[in-house]
Amino acid sequence: MTGQPGYIGASASITAEDVPALYEGAKFYSPAVGDANRSSITSWLAGLLDRNGPVPLLRVEAVPPETPCVSVCVLGSGSAMADLPPAGDEFEMAVRQIERLQRVSFGAVYPLAAATISALVAVVAAAQLRVPLLDADGMGRTFALIHHTAMHLSGVSPTPLAAVGPTGESVLVEVPSGPRADRMLRANVDTVGGWAALAAYPTTAGVLRRAALPGTVSRIANVGRLLLDRTDPDVLVTRLGTITGCRRLARGRIAELEHLSRPSDVTIPAHPSSLVVEETGGLGRQLRIELRSEIVAVFADGALVAGAPDLISLLDVSRGVLATLDSLEPGDLVDVLATPADAVWYSPRGMEMVGMGSHGIPLAHPRRR
Amino acid sequence: MYDHQMPAQGDDVAHIGVTLRPHRAYAAVVHGATVLPVEPVAPARADLEGVIAAAVGVALRAAPGGAGAVTVDLAPLLLDTLVRTEAEVPPVAAVRIVPRAATDPALARSPAELVERRIARRWTVAGGHDLLGNELTPLDGDGLALLCEELAGTGIRHVAIVAAGSQARPAHEREVADAILAAVPGARISVASDYGGQGLVAREATVVIDSALTALTERVLDRCERTLARLPGSLELRVARGDGGYSTPSRIRVTPVVAFGATEALELCGAAHLAGLDDCRVLLSRDGRPVAGEVRHGLAVVRPDVPVGIGTELVVPMAVLTGAPPDSYPGGADVPVIRPEAPPHVLACVGAAISQPASWLDEVAFIESAAELDHVRRDAEERATAMVMANGAAPGSTRVAEVSTVAVPYSPSGTIRIRVRVAGSPDTSLAGR
Repeated sequence: MTGQPGYIGASASITAEDVPALYEGAKFYSPAVGDANRSSITSWLAGLLDRNGPVPLLRVEAVPPETPCVSVCVLGSGSAMADLPPAGDEFEMAVRQIERLQRVSFGAVYPLAAATISALVAVVAAAQLRVPLLDADGMGRTFALIHHTAMHLSGVSPTPLAAVGPTGESVLVEVPSGPRADRMLRANVDTVGGWAALAAYPTTAGVLRRAALPGTVSRIANVGRLLLDRTDPDVLVTRLGTITGCRRLARGRIAELEHLSRPSDVTIPAHPSSLVVEETGGLGRQLRIELRSEIVAVFADGALVAGAPDLISLLDVSRGVLATLDSLEPGDLVDVLATPADAVWYSPRGMEMVGMGSHGIPLAHPRRR
Repeated sequence: MYDHQMPAQGDDVAHIGVTLRPHRAYAAVVHGATVLPVEPVAPARADLEGVIAAAVGVALRAAPGGAGAVTVDLAPLLLDTLVRTEAEVPPVAAVRIVPRAATDPALARSPAELVERRIARRWTVAGGHDLLGNELTPLDGDGLALLCEELAGTGIRHVAIVAAGSQARPAHEREVADAILAAVPGARISVASDYGGQGLVAREATVVIDSALTALTERVLDRCERTLARLPGSLELRVARGDGGYSTPSRIRVTPVVAFGATEALELCGAAHLAGLDDCRVLLSRDGRPVAGEVRHGLAVVRPDVPVGIGTELVVPMAVLTGAPPDSYPGGADVPVIRPEAPPHVLACVGAAISQPASWLDEVAFIESAAELDHVRRDAEERATAMVMANGAAPGSTRVAEVSTVAVPYSPSGTIRIRVRVAGSPDTSLAGR
């Protein structure tokens, strides 16, 4: 990334050299998905940036307010995407469908979630459409449903939206209510292979100035650079703390992976699982970590110490890399990290939407006690 | 009275570990707690044959029963062959079975140059399933017929086939493989469903490397078997696996990629053995750079990853050593840290000599109840156990070394990933086969 005078910590454009850092930083903000297609996705994006040139990365305030903008993300399972990789045109096709419907030409793209593969495909779409990428997103991490966004909280509709699967098939959704859109999409996503390219939340830059979370794309690049600098995990956690505010709750070995397999609310994908971590050193506590598609709560000797919407992640201490939730093994030594989410998620409406109660854990968040 | 024609068994036999480097071989003899590095004395040769012969001689002097088995680490030779552009490797045809062809050139090829340069020709045939085995697109019969016709005209005889979702439903891969065998009799076909794992690109790279290494592996194992046949006693040949275990030569002949990347896991296990530890962190050196790996319950910690020098993920597990700060241990000192003094090739030989038959299974399944989860888990454990016995474990000696089931994030409820690792004790009745 090339720096921009007067904009400390942010960047003016994204080049092929930035892709590894973007990937690692995006994984920090959503450690759910494994690395089975890392090399494929990163080489695809790097190739696009080499061929089409760097993608300008702009603050929302730097874009004329009337500029039409659209968000993109990967909807569904990262594992499904790894096994059925994109043909390459899905994200552009999804955006074009909304352009045709609304008879607009989007002047910028932004990630629905600046995290996991969704952060990278926003750069892909911008490179293919040859438009700038906004340094903003709707989640600041990843949440399970497409209306779990700052835009939704600000009254911006996710629809019309288009989802294009790796089969080339697509679905266009127009509904009056955001939560209905997610329910309608899920069945279609399963049908087209388990994942789809989503284009949603068509709006203007002026609306996004108040409705989106700023600086979240450049943030993942900064975090990614730290993660690529393989260093002592203690040093890494300290450095991450200065950028993200994360803190280490405990270090310990995974003693047990419990797959409870009880049915969950159909609107929250994945069965609940639990992880038991025995703290090494320190207080010697036993940690119970509740998993959904992300980690949603951490109990230490029975006391709740962190919970959604905190971003909770696991650092594989032995390897010095983030541990993804689908690759955990008993015996792994992990640092349990908690990072504050963006402030909007601790508001009453935010907590109602993505807090622990939405995952069936009706306890007061530690920050509120 | 000891009969040299009978398989040597029990504590009175030594085991030989061999690591085969591009320009020479190394060996060590392990007899109980005693480890004897083997150094052929001139005019003895330092090649595979010379080193094995020297090691058998050392074993005869060290143990009353001589040598029981020879475990060979082929990995350094296999990697060297893949990396060298001028190496004699048969051209490979790669067939992808997905709903539609890639529209971007980067997505149509392997991200790893080392893999891509072994592919002489690519085809994409419409078809494939999702992760749970639901058909996404019927197999394109016309496309398959055209592929067979074109392939027959190329002279390529090594074919790597990967289909989306074939871990759950291999039907399309098998149909394509059958058609190719009919069109190109004698074709050597590697199908991704034989290896399980996650990610089409990783699965494709695995079968491409598998196909590319077939001929070399055959030649090396032929040499090993001829050498053992000439030596006294009835020596069992074993081949080290990427996960630090071993398989029988007959298994490795049909799945050579399983032997890929074995050296790192062997070095870890060798270092732990020399230190008398079952659980430890091992600090090694690579090109002057400190790296680390772990041993748990006597087995190297392994996982599917990006092996050094390859440039893409593979689905066969191996110990990938990670950078380690030289003066710190991040483990909180809950396990010992060792810095072995023995050279890496000695560690690899010791690790090979003490290795156990092993198997690994990595799958996605769908469950709707706790009872179904138990069933899926038991089924996976039973299949992994059958695999480890095929790899040379004695009946009744197998144990589930690791098992994990985790929900696949952002997937429909009930989608789980299950991984099982099984190890066993050597079946000594296999000696001399």
